[in-house]
Amino acid sequence: MEILQQLWQIICDLLRDSGFGKLSWENYVMVGVSFILMYLAIKKQFEPLLLLPIAFGMCLVNLFPDIMGMPVTQMLSEAELIKKGVDPASYTTTVLNGQTYYNYTEYGGLFYYLYQGVKLGIYPPLIFLGIGCMTDFGPLIANPKSFILGAAAQVGIFLTFIIATVMGIFTPQEAGSIAIIGGADGPTAIFVTTKLAPHLLGPIAVAAYSYMALVPIIQPPIMRLLTTKKERAVVMGQLRPVSKLERILFPIIVVVVVSLLLPDAAPLVGMLMLGNLFKESGVVDRINKTAQNELMNIITIFLGVTVGATATGTVFLTLQTAGIIGLGLFAFCLATACGVLFGKIMYKATGGKINPLIGSAGVSAVPMAARISQKVGQEENPGNFLLMHAMGPNVAGVIGSAVAAGVLLSVLK
Amino acid sequence: MDAITQAFILLLAGFIVVFTVLILLILIVTVYSKIVTSVQNKGKKGKSEKQAAEKKDDSPAAPIVTAQTDTAEDNGEIPGEIIAAIAAAVSEIYGDKPHKIKAVKKSRAARSAWSRAGVLDNTRPF
Repeated sequence: MEILQQLWQIICDLLRDSGFGKLSWENYVMVGVSFILMYLAIKKQFEPLLLLPIAFGMCLVNLFPDIMGMPVTQMLSEAELIKKGVDPASYTTTVLNGQTYYNYTEYGGLFYYLYQGVKLGIYPPLIFLGIGCMTDFGPLIANPKSFILGAAAQVGIFLTFIIATVMGIFTPQEAGSIAIIGGADGPTAIFVTTKLAPHLLGPIAVAAYSYMALVPIIQPPIMRLLTTKKERAVVMGQLRPVSKLERILFPIIVVVVVSLLLPDAAPLVGMLMLGNLFKESGVVDRINKTAQNELMNIITIFLGVTVGATATGTVFLTLQTAGIIGLGLFAFCLATACGVLFGKIMYKATGGKINPLIGSAGVSAVPMAARISQKVGQEENPGNFLLMHAMGPNVAGVIGSAVAAGVLLSVLK
Repeated sequence: MDAITQAFILLLAGFIVVFTVLILLILIVTVYSKIVTSVQNKGKKGKSEKQAAEKKDDSPAAPIVTAQTDTAEDNGEIPGEIIAAIAAAVSEIYGDKPHKIKAVKKSRAARSAWSRAGVLDNTRPF
């Protein structure tokens, strides 16, 4: 009988410690959301490199929340330590009311430690280093007017900032962090949020990366709505070839100009341009390959799973998060619309030589936003190749969003 | 100062700074591109002149051939003979009907079917 009772007790304890006993309904909802994101990543291939780790991190943290658990230090007596089967000699002691206690530390979960790279703002500049190694600034150098489209798309950030502030439920720092989602630049959004509103890092990072992944769904309707068939069919002239010297000088000049004018943007722009200099100089091939492959992939895995792991059910399913997600989407749509509208202005100003569709690529989701310009352009004219033209505003958008981040940081920090 | 006024000031400051920095970059990129291009062109020109002079020195007995460049210069890159041939072909088609050739321009380099298929394949978004 006693054996049966003990067996029953073990089964009850196991059930209590299992996910069924510990998880709340919010966790199950978030697991469902993660499955949808996994479907979009695998079946629809929406930025799978980002979306898949995010979705899996989201799934894992909601099934096992302790994977994101912080380290905890307890003061235990010698007897308690011995009961745990550990040697008291390896712990520091604290004397309290004449009684000696041992500082026993329970280490945090795996994702907690990986998340420090996000929290301390280490991963975003490293991601920018890899992006710099993979980015060809040639189209931007060949057609510097593209910078204007990169700036136009940042208008969405500042207009969203106004709206978030007017709503009255967010502080200016929180509003700035939410507005930067409009830049469609995950690393920049994380970088700004860690400095301005670290408590909102989870929802903002998930929103920023989700919208970047959902660019193929969000952008095309806005682009079609704001342009005519004739404008979308414009075939742009070939870009001039750019010499190696121009390519080498570009990152050096940009980093000097931006760092002098906006020092807060220096970590992001600096690493972006360092990566690009690795690529263009052609003398550090090994470093270039490592930065754009191994390093970039490792950081992407760490960033993806830990950003996803911030979306725990109890934290994520709140009205404030709903507000952030809604405002983030608004910022992103507004940025796309502003880019296209500026593209239309340039279309008129150049007598129809510029296809306004490349304006939407001014949001910095590289290279997805440029590929969307290409896709929508080809729907009107299958012989139209806008990709390289759209890469100009696209990479200008990366610089533009880093500059906008610098403005927000310098004013709101 | 209330939060909304502060937000509007930030909006204006943001517009001004972002556009100023990027316009400054446009100017800098445009200027240095021109400088680099002109310096490189000058270098190339000097090199080719030097090479031509060296060639001339090496082969003093080579016959001098005078190219008929007058028509080519008059019509940009398209030689006058080709324009004449095109005009003759147009005249042949139109016959006595009144017609006028306003311009003869080189068309953009057309891609072959294979090249076009390759570009389509490499730039297909999804």
